[in-house]
Amino acid sequence: MYRIILEHILQNRAAIAGLLLLVAVILIAVLGSFYLPGDPWEMANAPMLWPGDDPDSPLGTDIMGRDIATGMVSGAKVSLLVGFASAFISALVGITFGALGGFYRGWVDAFLMRITELFQTVPQFVLAVVLVAVFKPSVVTAVFAIGIVSWPPTARLVRSAFLVLREREFVLAARTLGMSDPRLILTQLLPNALPPVIVISALNIATAILTEASLSFLGLGDPNVMSWGTIIGNGREQVVDAWYICGIPGIAILVVVLAFNLLGEGLNDALNPQLHKR
Amino acid sequence: MSELLSVHKLATCFHSRRGIIRAVDEVSFSIAAGETLALVGESGSGKSVTAASILRLISAPGRIEGGEILFQGQDLLKLGTAAIRQIRGNRIAMIFQEPLSAFNPVQSIGTQIVEAIRLHRKVSRKQAFEQAVTLLERMGIPSPAQRVHEFPHRLSGGMRQRAMIAMALSCEPDLLIADEPTTALDVTTQAQILELLKELQAANGMGMLLITHDLGMVAETAHRAAVMYAGRVVEEGSIDRLFTAARHPYTAGLLASVNIEALAPGTKLPEIPGSAPSLLNPVQGCAFAERCNARHALCDKQTPPLATDTEPESFPGSRHRVACFLPARPDAIPLPVESEAA
Amino acid sequence: MNAIIENHLTTNVGAIHQNATQNVPPLLELKRLSKIFTTDAGQVHALSSVDLVLQRGETLGLVGESGCGKSTLARLIMALYPPSAGEILFDGKNIAQSDKAERLARHARLQMVFQDPFSSLNPRQSIGRTLEEPLIVHRRGDKVARKARVSWLLERVGLHLESAWRYPHEFSGGQRQRIGIARALALRPDLIVCDEAVSALDVSIRAQILNLLLDLRAAYGVAYLFISHDLAVVRHMSDRIAVMYLGKVVEQAPSENIWRAPLHPYTQALMSAIPSPHRKSILGNKKRIILQGDLPSPLNPPSGCRFQTRCPYAEARCRAEEPLLQAADKGHTVACHFAIG
Repeated sequence: MYRIILEHILQNRAAIAGLLLLVAVILIAVLGSFYLPGDPWEMANAPMLWPGDDPDSPLGTDIMGRDIATGMVSGAKVSLLVGFASAFISALVGITFGALGGFYRGWVDAFLMRITELFQTVPQFVLAVVLVAVFKPSVVTAVFAIGIVSWPPTARLVRSAFLVLREREFVLAARTLGMSDPRLILTQLLPNALPPVIVISALNIATAILTEASLSFLGLGDPNVMSWGTIIGNGREQVVDAWYICGIPGIAILVVVLAFNLLGEGLNDALNPQLHKR
Repeated sequence: MSELLSVHKLATCFHSRRGIIRAVDEVSFSIAAGETLALVGESGSGKSVTAASILRLISAPGRIEGGEILFQGQDLLKLGTAAIRQIRGNRIAMIFQEPLSAFNPVQSIGTQIVEAIRLHRKVSRKQAFEQAVTLLERMGIPSPAQRVHEFPHRLSGGMRQRAMIAMALSCEPDLLIADEPTTALDVTTQAQILELLKELQAANGMGMLLITHDLGMVAETAHRAAVMYAGRVVEEGSIDRLFTAARHPYTAGLLASVNIEALAPGTKLPEIPGSAPSLLNPVQGCAFAERCNARHALCDKQTPPLATDTEPESFPGSRHRVACFLPARPDAIPLPVESEAA
Repeated sequence: MNAIIENHLTTNVGAIHQNATQNVPPLLELKRLSKIFTTDAGQVHALSSVDLVLQRGETLGLVGESGCGKSTLARLIMALYPPSAGEILFDGKNIAQSDKAERLARHARLQMVFQDPFSSLNPRQSIGRTLEEPLIVHRRGDKVARKARVSWLLERVGLHLESAWRYPHEFSGGQRQRIGIARALALRPDLIVCDEAVSALDVSIRAQILNLLLDLRAAYGVAYLFISHDLAVVRHMSDRIAVMYLGKVVEQAPSENIWRAPLHPYTQALMSAIPSPHRKSILGNKKRIILQGDLPSPLNPPSGCRFQTRCPYAEARCRAEEPLLQAADKGHTVACHFAIG
């Protein structure tokens, strides 16, 4: 089954483009650490060097003389880490809420869905800002804050999938075998509800990277870690004289978000069984 | 006999990533005015694709690749989109298996019938509405003046199918294509709808193409039947002859497996082994060969053509065609039959 | 042919009699079983006070149109939801009162084959895994023994052994139904509930599956509750038939009694509605009855006899008084004021 899906992904141009971009970013994050092992916060060169002015700082330096290339590599790691980790948390919470609500229905569902709605009615970004501000700003708090605000759509998706699946005959058949509820949920329902969750998680990663950048831009990033949002935030005063300081990380964010969106789109096509039959 | 519809060597293919699917291949048949021809076959035999081809309702990845469809002497395959639209719903109407999905759920059935009438007839909304009520009444819908305002989901399955027939007949078509019209209905409702269709046909003299997998329904409704297998017509003839003296082994096998009432309870049923072949990458020769117990060396090499059969003494004047190199003897399976349509 | 039918009947009826005299409880017994679903539109009386008995090794056919409650009945028996009133006794024990161990043991003895071969298999599980699942849940055998059992099952229902590695979408409807039957057979049950098990299949495939079910009954003495809307198929498979209309059993008899001499007007209409190329052989010279109107809403069932609104013979008494099931002949009961005498 998954082999077929992989084949479909490989036949989808959007997915391939997304995948290639993603691999490129991961390579930059990993290999970059070897080539540019310096501290991104340290003054490495003369300040305000334009990209190409000095071969030691290929992407230039900011007003404090910090090397932008080193910052970019550090930011790539932060972005990917925050993106994957918070999307994982979001999927975990969303699947748990959605699966339990959709499977048990009744008051369990009503209770879980009220909580979900509660989270949906509060503006996501504002909640994330409050959460990060209340706890100490750090990568870990950012991951949790973003994960906690972004799970409701996943929960709704899983719940609606479960409501349909639980009436399907293969699930009834498994119940007539005397299968226990956890086993039923994990082996029968969940594998069939996962494809849309995978798609939404890819999109969640993109949103999480944007949110993290926004938090850092507002100065709510981890003070010990250089992220793309921090670079943009630091460079915003000089945006007229030295637009590259904001531009380079800006383009990086655009590319990564685009990569995950393309990947999500491609996965959506590949995982959609209706399109398989053609 | 003047032919209302005459399909000649129709071929419709679907182009998929894995190859070409020949859903309909060299299909030929004709229907006279006032006549019902049943297109019988199991799922995937190409009967519904044939019906959709007649109305040119095939969309990509499907394509009609050959043949001609003469309707009142005019080749439907050569008409432009505007001209074919003038024929659809007007001179050729169609009813579907699932009336709930054929109706727009957010409009009352009356509104939808009025739409259908005004699409092809220049009448006022009021006149069309009165016509709609009359039509519903003719279809045996109780209190039609109230029912006309109902939404599709508020009607029962049988009522919905009646409403759909009313809509199909609103422009008095010359040909009605009924694609599995009773499959979604209960047996007792099914009987009602079949009676209704027969009555309407007797009154209007329209031709009818009945698409079904149900041989019992064919026997009770149609005058002639064409049996399809793997995209081709394998046998065609009058109901009387086809049901008493089928010559193609597939037709004979189907009839035997339906004839469950004549068997002693609990005994083994005659079965056709295996399952229908994939239409993708078709095998050489007769598509039925691998399930056939009369298989011959020639069957694997050539596709048997649909040839006109001899006229036995018991069925004088019967037009009968069969596509088999070794057809069964015409008197091989005598079964009692009572065709009500005849 | 008559002799064969007679012979078939006497052997089965004989076996059933033996059970009764030995004081063994019937395999399945339904006592005044009712199910009411509460919906936004009101209360749906899906099943009203149904009594049925199924003996060991017997096949009971259940016929009726959609909405008659036959699928609800199947799901109540499978304990997929609880009854609103009444009891289900399996092997003499009320299934509502069983503890966890008893429940698991009963699941092994009571299996089901579903209608839709495309929905009844998990699309993301290999066939081998699907067939092994019941054995794992019930802790039958080790890995090697389970694999052997899966191979045996595949062979028994006429599928290749390599099928174990494949996924449901690679199979045709008929093959999937074979897999569904193999799954039901995995734990060697005493009773298999077949809910419209052949209605989604093509005619040429239907015969294959019915033959397989007949085979399995002959080989393992399994009992069937055979549910279908198709009276001809039910008659072929069953020893006894119960006809249901709008949540009630309206007639129950040995299948040849129903087939030859149906007493309830609804059964007669059902018989005569069967579209058949061989009508004369069923109906003889009797006139075809076509029912008027539609099935009444189960939200608001008619007063008196539930069939009264569509019955060609209905009289004032039918609207006022609900007919009870009464014995018309040996083993033949019917719920109609005018069917008897």
